[in-house]
Formats: sequence, C-alpha cells, structure tokens
Amino acid sequence: MQIFKAFMKVLKKKLPSGLIYIVVFLCIAIPMSLNGKESEKYEDSTLKICIFDEDDTPESKALIEYIDNKHDIVSFEKDKDVLFEKLYWEEADYALTINKGYSKALANGDTNDMFGCYSVHHSYATVYMETYLNEYVSSVRAFILGGQDSKDAVLSAADSLSEETDVEIADNSDPDYPERFSSYFQYMPYILISVLMNTLCPVLMTLNRKDIRYRTNCSCVRPNRYTLQLFAGSTVFVTAVWLILMIAGLFMYGGLFKGNAWLAVLNSFIFALVSTSIAVLVSSFNIGSNGVSLLTQIIGLGMCFLCGVFVPMAFLGKEVRAAANFLPASWYIKANDMLDGTNVFDSSKLATYIMIEVAFIVTFFIVALLIHRIKYNDSDSLDS
Amino acid sequence: MERTVVKIDNLVKRYGELTALDHFSLEIKEGEILGLLGPNGSGKTTTINCLLSLLSFDKGRIEIFGKEMTPTSYDIKKEIGIIMQNVAVFDELTVYENIDYFCGLYINDKAKRKQYVDEAVKFVGLEDFLKFYPKKLSGGLLRRLNIACGIAHKPKLIILDEPTVAVDPQSRNKILEGIQELNKNGATVIYTSHYMEEVEQICTRIAIMDKGKKIAEGTKDELKRMTRNTETIIIEILDLPKAVRDKISVLPHVYKTDYDDDKLTVSCSGGKHNLLRVLGLLQKEELSFGRVYSELPTLNDVFLEITGKALRDKEE
Ligand SMILES: Nc1ncnc2c1ncn2[C@@H]1O[C@H](COP(=O)(O)OP(=O)(O)OP(=O)(O)O)[C@@H](O)[C@H]1O
Ligand SMILES: [Mg+2]
Repeated sequence: MQIFKAFMKVLKKKLPSGLIYIVVFLCIAIPMSLNGKESEKYEDSTLKICIFDEDDTPESKALIEYIDNKHDIVSFEKDKDVLFEKLYWEEADYALTINKGYSKALANGDTNDMFGCYSVHHSYATVYMETYLNEYVSSVRAFILGGQDSKDAVLSAADSLSEETDVEIADNSDPDYPERFSSYFQYMPYILISVLMNTLCPVLMTLNRKDIRYRTNCSCVRPNRYTLQLFAGSTVFVTAVWLILMIAGLFMYGGLFKGNAWLAVLNSFIFALVSTSIAVLVSSFNIGSNGVSLLTQIIGLGMCFLCGVFVPMAFLGKEVRAAANFLPASWYIKANDMLDGTNVFDSSKLATYIMIEVAFIVTFFIVALLIHRIKYNDSDSLDS
Repeated sequence: MERTVVKIDNLVKRYGELTALDHFSLEIKEGEILGLLGPNGSGKTTTINCLLSLLSFDKGRIEIFGKEMTPTSYDIKKEIGIIMQNVAVFDELTVYENIDYFCGLYINDKAKRKQYVDEAVKFVGLEDFLKFYPKKLSGGLLRRLNIACGIAHKPKLIILDEPTVAVDPQSRNKILEGIQELNKNGATVIYTSHYMEEVEQICTRIAIMDKGKKIAEGTKDELKRMTRNTETIIIEILDLPKAVRDKISVLPHVYKTDYDDDKLTVSCSGGKHNLLRVLGLLQKEELSFGRVYSELPTLNDVFLEITGKALRDKEE
C-alpha cells in the first residue's frame, strides 16, 4: 500500500495541471449544450439541398417539387470548392445534379446515370438522400410499368410516397438529443488525452524514477508488487476522471443516457483506457516534465486534428484519412459518428472499431512493458 | 568469535571493456564499522550495488548473514538499510512523508512505523523541517534526510555510500557521530568514502581499494604500519638551495624529500629527533624558515606508497 499511497500523494501535487483541462472543457461545453436545446427542432428531418437541374423537363421539375415539399432548397454556384465549403459549414447537406437525359432514362428504365452529387461521404444526409431518391425512382418506374405515362407517374409517385416517409422520422421524441450527445462525446478524446497525459505521465515518471526504483528494490518490496500498485493507482485515477466527465455528461443530457448514448459511454471508457496506455507509454521514456507537456500538445492536438475530433473526418483529405487509421482517436470518432447519427449505424462495424481501439491499448501497454524490461533489467546503466 | 555479516568472495564486475571490480574479496564482522576507502572511480559504489543485488556481476559470490544474496533475498534485504550516494527521495513528498514512505517499505504496522519515523527524524535532527519539501532543504539537511530514509526501519546492516559529499563540516560531524551511535546500538556498518579523515575517525577497520582491487586492509594502525613512513616534516622556506636539500636527503632516517611551492617536505622512516636534525642543519646553513610542523603517517601515505599516487586531489 505504501506505493499506492505515494502514488496518490504525488498525484495530488500534479493534479492541478490536468484538472484545468476538465474545468475549461466543462465551462465551454455545458453552456453550449444548454443553448443548443431550444434551437432548430426539425433540423434532422429537414435537409438543405442544393439542386442543379440539367435536364430541365417536366419530370425533373416534378422531382424538384417533390423534394421541395419535404426539404429546403438552397442554391449555390455549381463549383466543387464552393459546394464543399457550403457542405462543410452545413449551409447545405447535399448537392444534387439531375443529369441531362433524366426524363428519358426514367421512361425507359435505364436508371444508372440519372443523378450526380456532392455530399459528405457516409454522412447521414447522404445515405438518407440516396435511399430517398431510390425510393422515388423505383416508385415512378412502378407507375410507368403500370401503364401511366411519365408525367402522370411522377405525380402518383409523389402522392404515394409522401404518405409513408413522414412515419419514418416521427418517432424521435427529442430531436436535438443526438446533437447534444454528439458534441459532448466528440471532444472527449482531446480532454481525456490532455488530462491523463498531463497528470498520469508526471506521476508515473516520478514513481518510476530510476534512483527511487533502485532504492525501493533494495527493500523487501517485490518489483511486481510495485508495478501492481502503480497499476491500481492509475486505474483509480482514470476511472475517476472518466466518471467526472460522464456525470457532467448527464447534466448536459438533462437526464440519464438512453439508447446509443450508452454505447458512446462505453466507447469513451475504452478511449480513456487508450489515453492511459499512451500516458504509460510516454512516461516510460526519460523526457522530463517539459518534454511531457510538449508531447501532450503534439499528441493531443495533433491526433485530434487528424482524426476528426475538431474537424469532421469527412472534410479531411484522403491521405490524412488514410494516415489517421494508424491513430486510435480516429476509430473512436468513427464509432462515435455512427452513434450520434452522422453516419449510418452498423453494430458489427461498431464492434470492429472498438476492437481496434482495444488492440491499440494492448499494443501500447506491451511496448511500454518492453521498454520497462530493458530499462530496469539492464541494471548496468545504474549510475549513468 | 564474531559472526561474519558480509562475505564478498572474488567479485568480478565488468562494464564492457572496463573491469570495475577485479577479484575483490572482503569480509565484515558483526559490530564493525568497515570503511571502504578509495579515490573516485575505484569501484566503491559498484561494490555496494553488487552487494545489494542491484547489479549483476560476472564472477564471485556474496553472502550476507550467512546466506547467499540474490535479487529475491527479501529476508536479507529486510535487515539492510541503504543510504545511496545519490540522494533518492521524492521531491513531491515532504520530509516526513519521505521517511514514512521508505520506512513503510519495511514496516507495515502503522503505530510501529510512526514511532520509528519519529525516532529517525529525531536522530538526524530534522524535527523543524517535517513539512519541508526536499527542494527547500540545504545540502547537509538533504543528506540527513537521505540517511533518515535509510535507517528508519532499524536495520542490522547499514550501508552508507559517501553520505557526506557536499556537506559542511558541522553537519558532517553530526552525521559521523550519528553513524557511531547506530553502531553502538548494534548495527554493523559499511561506510564508503574518499575522505580518509572521516574513515580514520569512525571506522574500526578499513579496506582501501583502487581500480577495482583491494590494495590493503586492516585497522587504522595496522595500515599505517604498512608504510615505512613514521613522520612527515613540513617546513615553509623560501629559496632553498639545491645543495642544502641534497644534504637533508642524506640525513639518517630520511628517505624522501620534496620541495614545492616554497614548502619542504621531508619523509622519515623510524628514528627519533628527526625534526631537530633537519632544523639544526638549516640553522647551520643560516637559512631562515617560516612555519614548521610534523605529521604522523596518514592513510594517504599508505595509499601513496602502494599506488604511487595521492588518494585525492589537493583542492578537494
Ligand atoms: N553504468 C556504468 N557503465 C560503465 N561504467 C561504469 C558504470 N558505472 C560505473 N562505471 C565505471 O566503473 C568504475 C567504478 O565506478 P564506481 O561508481 O563504483 O566508483 P566509486 O568508487 O563509487 O567512485 P566515486 O567516488 O566517484 O563515487 C568507474 O571507472 C566508472 O567509470
Ligand atoms: Mg561512488
């Protein structure tokens, strides 16, 4: 217990530098989430859609009208950069081009090249719109095959579809719930990494100081016991930090978590362990306290930028996204994006993402362990 | 016959090319204060670290309390108190917390530990500094804290590796007296140093080492008998003519003279009235001189005679 006690005492001294992150985070996050509550009630069922009609036929106009009934139509210049910017700032959710030959294609059933689009890959809006357009086209085709000409078919299709679609979206009792949920868990990796690295690293570095370890090895405390007590101390601390964040989260939701939020809670706990393993790994290098705070900034900010914590992943370059796969935070974010509805939910994918995070944890711990082995068993470097 | 507490047998320790310990053997009996004396880099710390099984060694065997010492000899470790050369304490813990931590590595019982810690604090005289952090302590106080951390659990064997480096004479004396007191209370002590005065002052037996080898061993008097030097005469004198110095070196019992820095050093071996003879000669030559003093042999003379070099640099 002696070592565990020392761990807590040293932790107490190092705590302020880490807690400041939590305090600042909560100061920003809580008011933000409270504001979000009243605004834009129907946002997630109504999309902002920008349409370029290159076919310009009654059929294409009918489609535009059909979309306009349900969604907001916005118009922007047809330029890739402009559109991506609008998508980024969420001034548009989806940009649809009705290709030339749409009406003919509709009439003769060649449905492959009817539409072009700019959208955020894998986003909720994209998947929604694809299904939405598919449904529409299949429905029109059905009326055509049933003997109507295309002008009548588009009207019949619009009629029959508008009855069903409303039902789908209706059962979300608290529409802004996912949004509050999303922003809170979105920034969690940065907080966890910053707090844990800023506190756990210095504490572990102190308790693993070579002279102290050797001095302790002269006593009757077994080295395994020592490591075990450090482990216990770290576990208690990490769990406490995570719990604080979760309890603060409850306030932001105005009640207990529900549905997918429980999975986000699990995901965040896994990521707390990821951060711990990173902190343990970093602390096994002799880089001093300045080194640690520098590295915290680099790892914390760097990884969070690359992995879509601050900027949605979809807006990062292909190369960046590929590189981010090697960083644990990107898997956290991928999982979180599915949970908050940005992307389509898929439980097997979620399991894979979480397993990948776990694999990172295991890897980091093993590497840290190897470094320790080398450092403390090669006792010949005692004096250096 | 006293029990053998530590037995080091033919220890060899290499760091790559460098042989830090070269067939080093040593025995320490119960109740001794053994001084391990040697210049910087002679292998004192290496010996201690091997003794504690912190270092693996290439050859040899170490027994403590009659049992072989290995990294897992926890029953032996329990009885050892170690004061390392580099102060090993937590900067984040106070004086009291530090002593409590290190004592707690050995003593689980809370009440007993508190008593032991209080005694250790009193022993090193840190009562007024209990709430201080190590960074705020002066060099001497820090060394005392280091000692308190090592001895709080009342070990039977205490090992001190240069505990007085960078300590002012007053603190140093307090530390040395403390060590003697611990010894009187029953602890066997190993004390390493490169200050021969300290070693002469407190140690009951002394081993001198150089380049990883033990070059001499015995009590202070036994060691001094090993050198032919019985008296060193030092005379402050300006412009000593070479002819006069030659005359002095052929006086009876004189085996070596040195003239350096306006100081004449005459080494004598045996005989009586050596000083009078030298002074008489100077008087006859009508040379005036300043301060005159005569010294009995020191451990430095022993070291000098065996290795041909001084134990430590003058300015230290
Ligand atoms: N980790 C190491 N790697 C290589 N050489 C070492 C190492 N530690 C010590 N040495 C060498 O071994 C020799 C003995 O060193 P040691 O520290 O035992 O000397 P010491 O007598 O304690 O000296 P000091 O009075 O300076 O403390 C020295 O030449 C030193 O340079
Ligand atoms: Mg040394």
